[in-house]
Amino acid sequence: METSYETIIIGGGVVGSSIAYHLSERYKEGLLVIDKKFPMSGTSGSTQAWVWVHSKTPAWYAEFSMYSAELYPYLAKKIGDVEYKRTGGLSPFFREQEREKAKRLAEEYGKIGIQIDVLSREEVLAKEPFFNPRVAGATFSLLDGNVNPFRLIDMYMRTAKKNGVHYSTYNRVTDIRRRNDMFIVVSEKGTYASKRLILAAGPWSRELGKLIGINIPINQVRGQILVTEPLKPFLRYTISGLRQANNGEVLIGYSMEQAGFDRSTTLDVIQETANLAIHYVPALKKAKIVRAFSGIRAMPEDGLPILGKVPGIDNLYVAATHSGVTLSPLIGTLLAELLLDGETSLPIERYSLSRFA
Amino acid sequence: MAMETDVLIIGAGPAGLAAAFELASRGLEVTLVDESAAAGGQLVQQTQLIRSLPAPFQPMRGFALAEALTKRLAALPVRYLLGHRMIGLYRDGSVGVADEANVFPLKARKIVVATGAAENAVPFPKWTLPGIITIGAAQTLINRDFVRPGKHAVIVGSSDFAVDVALQLADVGVNIKAVVERQSALLARDAEKVAQLKQSGIPTYVNAAVKEARGKGEVAEIDIQLSERVITEHVDLVCLDGGRSPVLEACYQLGCSFGYQQELGGWLPQYNKRLQTDREDVFLAGNAAGISTQGVVLATGMIAGVSVCEALRVIGGEEAERLRSALWKELEVLETTLFPEVWQARLRHMDNFGNPLLKEQFIS
Ligand SMILES: Cc1cc2nc3c(=O)[nH]c(=O)nc-3n(C[C@H](O)[C@H](O)[C@H](O)COP(=O)(O)OP(=O)(O)OC[C@H]3O[C@@H](n4cnc5c(N)ncnc54)[C@H](O)[C@@H]3O)c2cc1C
Repeated sequence: METSYETIIIGGGVVGSSIAYHLSERYKEGLLVIDKKFPMSGTSGSTQAWVWVHSKTPAWYAEFSMYSAELYPYLAKKIGDVEYKRTGGLSPFFREQEREKAKRLAEEYGKIGIQIDVLSREEVLAKEPFFNPRVAGATFSLLDGNVNPFRLIDMYMRTAKKNGVHYSTYNRVTDIRRRNDMFIVVSEKGTYASKRLILAAGPWSRELGKLIGINIPINQVRGQILVTEPLKPFLRYTISGLRQANNGEVLIGYSMEQAGFDRSTTLDVIQETANLAIHYVPALKKAKIVRAFSGIRAMPEDGLPILGKVPGIDNLYVAATHSGVTLSPLIGTLLAELLLDGETSLPIERYSLSRFA
Repeated sequence: MAMETDVLIIGAGPAGLAAAFELASRGLEVTLVDESAAAGGQLVQQTQLIRSLPAPFQPMRGFALAEALTKRLAALPVRYLLGHRMIGLYRDGSVGVADEANVFPLKARKIVVATGAAENAVPFPKWTLPGIITIGAAQTLINRDFVRPGKHAVIVGSSDFAVDVALQLADVGVNIKAVVERQSALLARDAEKVAQLKQSGIPTYVNAAVKEARGKGEVAEIDIQLSERVITEHVDLVCLDGGRSPVLEACYQLGCSFGYQQELGGWLPQYNKRLQTDREDVFLAGNAAGISTQGVVLATGMIAGVSVCEALRVIGGEEAERLRSALWKELEVLETTLFPEVWQARLRHMDNFGNPLLKEQFIS
């Protein structure tokens, strides 16, 4: 026996859950999210969770990220508090030569309406008194912040469920077929039919795409993060490298390695990351590290999101990206528009899978 | 430059020390890492007589056994890194060891994980109030630190260990108001100890459970649900006997696969009769290979030691097989005397070696 749905979303991470929630705002029935484990077990549960705009390139991609960041304050009104904080973001540099590059970035962003300040050493230290006094300067943007990824996904999911979305967890999709314009999704717990299908499998997108004969060029890039003991609040901004969470712990690191799906942590990277922390904020030398974890980034071959219709297969959609936390409110909004209205309020052709053909 | 050793043993408790003797007495260079300042593990605070031990050991008290185990290593090639912890792995596979200040790599040809067990708590409303501790913590306080943790106590649970410690607490003047057991009979298997408990006049309640604890800043009262009524005891100490589970962090980091056996303490690494995990260079010993009694803990240490000697070609396959099967026979006797179901679980666990439940847990 197979159950029928209007739309099936494979992958319940921050991207899949956001799409499910945004779709459910507008139609209440026939939505199923399938996940091989549970919605926080993938990359979305092992992330720094910056909502980060500044320093993204090219400028049009920064603009895209900005629109998503702008949606965050409203999200809380709709789905509940997700501990989003627009702290402002600091990207420090330690050599005076880098100021020129920072100024060029600020200039380019100015053209698209994103204000970036290039700070002097004194200005950095005035903002963040515990920063290494040897810093040369920093770029600063008011738009950047961070969110609690666990609350975010949980609230997307709760609201989606309240709106009638079904979730099937611990249920791996093992095959996808086409039959009379329907998708037949074969999974460990059963077979489902649906009119529309959305692939939101994060780092597993390439493997999932293969099941239906398409190439989604997503690679895996491992990142390792350190977590300190809870410290009294002393860092105010989201710094590109570390941030202090609501309950006081500092999350450190943005390492990148090729390690496939291996999620172990290694002391090499842990020690480099600890050194980075001390270089940025010397006082962290006294903090105790209580935990290290790693996550696997979903990294498209050209670094940019893959969004929208899959060329050549009607009613098949894909949403796979790095920076999925930053982009999730916008991706959810745009995909709901694409499915229900056939067009989007912001152009997304640039992000089409067809660019790799 | 990485420190090098033939065999790294993580954990210098009875299992680690027993393995070390098998290895070092055959000329292998052994490094023992333990976070405590002294070798001996949990034996150090055990004053009760441990009766059933494998040959060549005589019955003796825990702390004396710890001394005996370390003494015979004195003249052998054993390096102690006490006050040190294994905290992770480097990319090249060497083990990261930390003292309080530094981390350094240690390269070993083989690794024996003998990290022992951790106690489980028994949760109920307000179980985190100060004054509510595990039964093992109570034992450590009286026997190692010479501190009496309270004056009026309730013991929650009735394993052999809990009964032992209840008697020890009573000996140092703690007024034991009750031993509370959820099951319909006391769990302790040692008939002599149970008789001693009964004689001591300590009330025992079966089919009973803690309803809640109360107190401002520390525990003051505890409600116990009996079959027909609730009684309240005024206490300043509650000792929880929630059983023990293997300490698994090292095995997780080393990438071993896992299986589940309730009787052995829950999740534990898969192993074969060599006590070898599916990571061929990693062996197990002691409670890390399944919760059991001190005698079994020693025997597993010896088996792991023999197997590593075989793997490093210090002894031949036939000799290893002979030693191992003698040790397994002894282990079977030690384990089946009091806990036949643990032995059955151990056999099942080894049967499952080829079909682990949890494999490659870091590979999502
Ligand atoms: C260390 C690190 C730091 C990061 N920092 C940031 C940051 O600061 N800001 C930011 O915006 N982003 C950051 N990211 C990236 C961000 O976390 C990801 O882009 C985002 O989580 C991706 O979400 P997702 O829903 O696409 O993927 P996932 O959360 O991985 O979800 C995909 C889901 O698909 C399921 N799935 C896969 N295959 C199948 C199948 N066959 N059947 C059923 N289910 C399947 C999986 O179980 C999984 O739950 C970071 C990532 C890492 C690793």
